[in-house]
Amino acid sequence: MLHSRRKRYLSGSDWVINTLDQLMKRATCAGNMSQIVLPLAGRPDEERLRAALARLRERYPVLCGTVARDWKLAPYWKIPSRARPRDLLQITPLGAGGLAEACAQTANRPFPADAEHLAFHLFTAGDRSALALAFDHRLLDARGAEALLDLLSRSLDGEPLPEAPLFASSAELTRWGEKFRAGRNVNRRIIALAGNAPRALPLPAGTGRAYRYRLISCTPAESAAVTERAYREAGYLMESPFLLAVVTRSMHALHLARGTAGSSYLVPVTVDLRPGREPLQELFFNHVSYLFYQLPAALGADLPGLIDAIKIQMYEQIKSGFPADLARASLLMRIAPLPALGRLLYLPLEGKMASFAFAHLGRSGYRAATFMGTPAENLFHMPRVPVPPGIGFFCNSFNGRLNLTMAYLDGLLSEAEADLVEHGIGAELTGGAA
Amino acid sequence: MTVHEIENKLIEGIAAITGRLPEEIAADRPFHDLGIDSLGFVEILVFIEKSFNLQLIAADLTRKDFENVRSLAAYIAGRQ
Repeated sequence: MLHSRRKRYLSGSDWVINTLDQLMKRATCAGNMSQIVLPLAGRPDEERLRAALARLRERYPVLCGTVARDWKLAPYWKIPSRARPRDLLQITPLGAGGLAEACAQTANRPFPADAEHLAFHLFTAGDRSALALAFDHRLLDARGAEALLDLLSRSLDGEPLPEAPLFASSAELTRWGEKFRAGRNVNRRIIALAGNAPRALPLPAGTGRAYRYRLISCTPAESAAVTERAYREAGYLMESPFLLAVVTRSMHALHLARGTAGSSYLVPVTVDLRPGREPLQELFFNHVSYLFYQLPAALGADLPGLIDAIKIQMYEQIKSGFPADLARASLLMRIAPLPALGRLLYLPLEGKMASFAFAHLGRSGYRAATFMGTPAENLFHMPRVPVPPGIGFFCNSFNGRLNLTMAYLDGLLSEAEADLVEHGIGAELTGGAA
Repeated sequence: MTVHEIENKLIEGIAAITGRLPEEIAADRPFHDLGIDSLGFVEILVFIEKSFNLQLIAADLTRKDFENVRSLAAYIAGRQ
């Protein structure tokens, strides 16, 4: 095990994220990144925020790392001894398009250099504002980015920033038998999934496209009603299966309207593998794996049927240890160059890797109800979903409010189709059109 | 197994799943208060199958029976 502030070996999950980053840079206008938006009922002190961001960057040079390989070919994150000073904050008055348009632009803006992985934007409109943090998934997953924002907020409230972590990592070039056994289990699952042609939307032609977003944000009362309904219809704590079933039914309506071929919906769902013991060790990099659901198209309109199928498949995958096996097996892929791995990921399902992606973050890692003393009205995510499928749904809860963001590659859906999906989900979550 | 023994076994398993210390898991504290989500709850159900040979995923999973260690232990005891 290596303990270092300058070098952190990448896990298999990190390497998959890096591969997707390369695929996305080739196929779209930017890499594998996402954005958190915090609408504020006030305007924070801009210069104090700028200074705090400079301190954050100085304290954590990991924010300016790059990917390298050591002599055994194991990839690692090379961390400079000092971060080059750079202003991370951009202040933009909101234009006629409002917050939605401004946020969509920054969510799709590539970072200026390979060693840059964060950008903060403060959108202002009179005495109101919104803070957006765009982040590179090679450095942070969604929960890690929320925790980083929380760390920043607490430092602005007077708490000292913790020391830069001494990263504990390993090249993982031993115990090959264990990794190959995990690989065999994963391979079996992929072969089983490949047996059924998934319904997928054809990607629009051309490269350099941006993502578009639709946000369904529930009031606290609507959010509580969704939770109660999920408990009643899916079972106690079964919000994730309920939300996935709602999204699947809405996507089914779209595929019916299009007359798409295929017998099932294939849905990768991100799961958090953090053991929760070392918050700072777990803040940076990726601590996720995936569950894969294959939902028969014949059940597409049947919400209770979808919920049952999702629950059973979730149970079976967790019981068989699939998420941990996938994380272990992906360690085997780190030796492959990124372009080769990209092609490899593409092969088993002939590019139809998924119908859509889904993630449910649940409770927020951003714990405060304010930012710099200003009430935070909400917190939502704007991910750039890997292509294929180029469409995904991200749910999170903040301060008793449930948010669901639909992200899709420009041109994948028409405006009317995006309306159809959004209204289908909105009708279930808010009791009316979103 | 007595209900008390089932409670202790559940606390042990839930501590391992959530990364908490057993003493942090009060028998009457709702699981949602412990930050347990769908995934964590399904891990608990898998733990129950392995420890008590009971598969519960297809059960009704009502809040009344599944909300905390105490109610869950009573439910398991009733099914054994």
